[in-house]
Amino acid sequence: MTDSSSPLQTLWLCEAVRLREEQTGLLEDTEACRKARATPGSLAQRLQVRGLFLAQRDGLVAALQHWLQGAKLAVWLLVISALMAGIILAKTALSGTPQTINIFWALAGLVGLNLLSLLAWLFSLVFAAQASSPLSHLWLWLSNTLARDAKAVQLAPALLVLLQRNNLLRWGLGRLLHGWWLITLSSAFLTLVALLATRRYGFVWESTIVASDSFVMLVNSLGKPAAWLGFALPDNDLIRHSGMQTLDNEHARQVWASWLLGMLLIYGIVPRLVCSLFCEWRWRYGVKRLQLNAADPVWQPLHERVQPSSERLGVIDAAPAALSFSAAGSQRSGENAVLVAIELDDSINWPPVLPAQVLDAGVIDTRKQRHQVLEQLSANPPARLLIVCNAQRSADRGTLHLIAELSRTATQTRVWLLSADSMDDRLNNWQEQLDQLSLAHSRSAPWNWLEHGHE
Amino acid sequence: MSEPLKLAVVGHTNVGKTSLLRTLTRDIGFGAISHRPSTTQHVEGARLSVDGEALIELYDTPGFEDAIALYEYIEQSAQSSERLDGPEQVQRFLQSSEARQRFEQEAKVLRQLLQSDAGFYVIDAREPVLAKYRDELAILAMCGKPLLPVLNFVNSAEQREPAWREVLARLGLHAVVRFDTVAPPVDGEQRLYENLSLVLDSQRPRLQRLIEHNQAQVLVRRKAGYRLIAELLIDVSACRRSVHPDHLQDAIQDLHRDVRQREQQCVEALLKLYAFRKDDAQASALPLEEGRWGDDLFNPATMKQLGIKVGGGMAAGAATGAGIDLITGGLSLGMATVLGAAVGGLTQTFRNYGERLKGKFRGERELTVSDNTLRLLAIRQQRLLSALELRGHAAQARIQMETPLEQQWREGELAQPLQTARAYQAWSSLNGQKPQQDSARTQAVEDLLASLNKQHAHPALS
Repeated sequence: MTDSSSPLQTLWLCEAVRLREEQTGLLEDTEACRKARATPGSLAQRLQVRGLFLAQRDGLVAALQHWLQGAKLAVWLLVISALMAGIILAKTALSGTPQTINIFWALAGLVGLNLLSLLAWLFSLVFAAQASSPLSHLWLWLSNTLARDAKAVQLAPALLVLLQRNNLLRWGLGRLLHGWWLITLSSAFLTLVALLATRRYGFVWESTIVASDSFVMLVNSLGKPAAWLGFALPDNDLIRHSGMQTLDNEHARQVWASWLLGMLLIYGIVPRLVCSLFCEWRWRYGVKRLQLNAADPVWQPLHERVQPSSERLGVIDAAPAALSFSAAGSQRSGENAVLVAIELDDSINWPPVLPAQVLDAGVIDTRKQRHQVLEQLSANPPARLLIVCNAQRSADRGTLHLIAELSRTATQTRVWLLSADSMDDRLNNWQEQLDQLSLAHSRSAPWNWLEHGHE
Repeated sequence: MSEPLKLAVVGHTNVGKTSLLRTLTRDIGFGAISHRPSTTQHVEGARLSVDGEALIELYDTPGFEDAIALYEYIEQSAQSSERLDGPEQVQRFLQSSEARQRFEQEAKVLRQLLQSDAGFYVIDAREPVLAKYRDELAILAMCGKPLLPVLNFVNSAEQREPAWREVLARLGLHAVVRFDTVAPPVDGEQRLYENLSLVLDSQRPRLQRLIEHNQAQVLVRRKAGYRLIAELLIDVSACRRSVHPDHLQDAIQDLHRDVRQREQQCVEALLKLYAFRKDDAQASALPLEEGRWGDDLFNPATMKQLGIKVGGGMAAGAATGAGIDLITGGLSLGMATVLGAAVGGLTQTFRNYGERLKGKFRGERELTVSDNTLRLLAIRQQRLLSALELRGHAAQARIQMETPLEQQWREGELAQPLQTARAYQAWSSLNGQKPQQDSARTQAVEDLLASLNKQHAHPALS
């Protein structure tokens, strides 16, 4: 797992940054996000730009290099341990009296553990959701220890999480596991050859309850695949004789030695080689297709930062210093008391029962009504003008202009605000606007004032 | 890459133009909103992008306030000269001096609409159809741009939607959208853009893309929300503390405090995920008070309120919500848990058990968070997520409090990942260390997230 393939490292660093942010909150990333936003490309590319920038800034890239060095060292340690293990394996298998090596004990010693571990791996392949073995844990622990960089603390978990998410962890760890066994078994094979070449071993088989025919069949069927590769297969007589006594002839020794080597090759090295190649293929295939999946919810908090779905464009047309405003006014003299309403809708009963002497000028809504009322009032200026407004409508400039214009036709003007709710925001706004126009206003009808000119 | 589609948001003052923009841009800080008229006095733009490509530019404009006088002014100036069409008349007005004085704000609106491809005409449906609105529509129609009327406040009791529809139809505006900015329908945005593509047929693919993007965003956001909840539940479930019996009461208090804090952390993350601010106008729609849950997590009454059965011993004061493993010293994990753990990683599990055995010999007690508290947490956070998702939507009343999903959490077995988490102390951030981010924990979070999300998508099936 010491590939220095760039996409893997990039994603690894991004993942490490993400894990860090998840644990300690978002990093200060204004510059990183600016860079990411300036990158043309997909969301995934932008997320990577941001991640890489932060990783670079916070020294994670250097830490990654340290970690990779540590990992390499760890791999070398594992290789050495595998070589040693192979030598020990071969020596143990051929330990005991050299003249009477039990052929099945030797065989079990050479491939037994390997087959058990292989079975366990295959079992986990089928049944377990995730793959881990003591060996891979050892490697990760070694890599972390050897990296000796405090910043590298997030790196190993990040790698695991990344590989897990992309279903690569199994194959990555599998590469390591099978590679280790492959080296161990190859080393055992070579040691075995060396031992067999330089020392004289005699092979026997022993049993109290198993008949020799069964042994013949077992040896033959086990040895058949190796025989295809040119390894010797002991004939039936030889097998039977080996069960009775140690054969001291050269041919028997050579045949048994060749058979044993063949067994180690077929049941030890070849399966591991196949698994190694398979894992290697899956790993390379997976790493090549490795991409940042921006749709994964873990990246969601960063979406808007690197690729905002909405941006403010700022003010295009600035606000004026002051809005147009028309002042209220008054006539010097006038007669009559007039009531006029502005924009009342059909929900209000209009006009109310009016006191005598109060003239009703109707309701103003359209342009035509405006003109009519204004002309009429200009021709006969009222002494007192009561303007009625529905405070539920908003006090817009057009209406205020009209009120001001109406006030300029009368000697005195008051505004009556119709409103059900005294806490209404719109009512408050009406009151403020009318105060600005310096017009008196009330929420009840000032009939007395309208009729008599005083409260 | 083609030019973005320019849309002007126009309408009378105080009808909710800026609110509409805030909703469409999901930018709660855009512009200023108040009950006063003329709150927005400038033209301000916002750009909507999908995958980094600018699709739409929206422009917020000042309110139209003086339509009757302006319409009169435009008509007067047109009479004196040769026949002009609508846009030419508007252009002529924009060059006049009144366009810089009395009608300055209206001029801004018209200028922006002329530069845009179309306009959203926002209507306060509570208003009667007054003459000033008719004049406003007439002036805006003069610009010769497609207008899509958007009826705001349609959920209000005093809405006058039929009257407005009739008037709009008379003006030839038949595509009308109901979009209450206070409580928009869940598919409101989609309908808005669909209707816009009725009046702007050439822009249909672009608008469709925006619709699909928005829909995808909803799903991603929901998934991210469930992930936060899954993390919380795993964290709390994996929490396990060894305590000496003499300090049991204090330890329980500490545990309560830490779990409460952890829940609050999740609440805040969810609020952030849905771009929620405490002073948000729609705060009252959430089941929170001041951004936190009002009812205490460890109060038996809270559990009863959410329909979780409180067992006999549970109601006994301070120990509520904390499971205390008195007899076995923490070795009483269910068989399912042990199996789940064993498949995950043998070494780690046995190291765990080793630690516990040591604790047992020292006479310590194991403190965990009870299943009921996990149930309560799960239900509460999911309710919050649903509320946030529908926040500001008209479907508010439709949030079902008795979903089958909740029933499952209330009475069914705890989800498998949570049972597994019980065996992994190292997964929890509540045990005084950073959670171990191993692949097994990631897997557990993913599994829990997937099951939460699945249940959300098919509530009828669970």
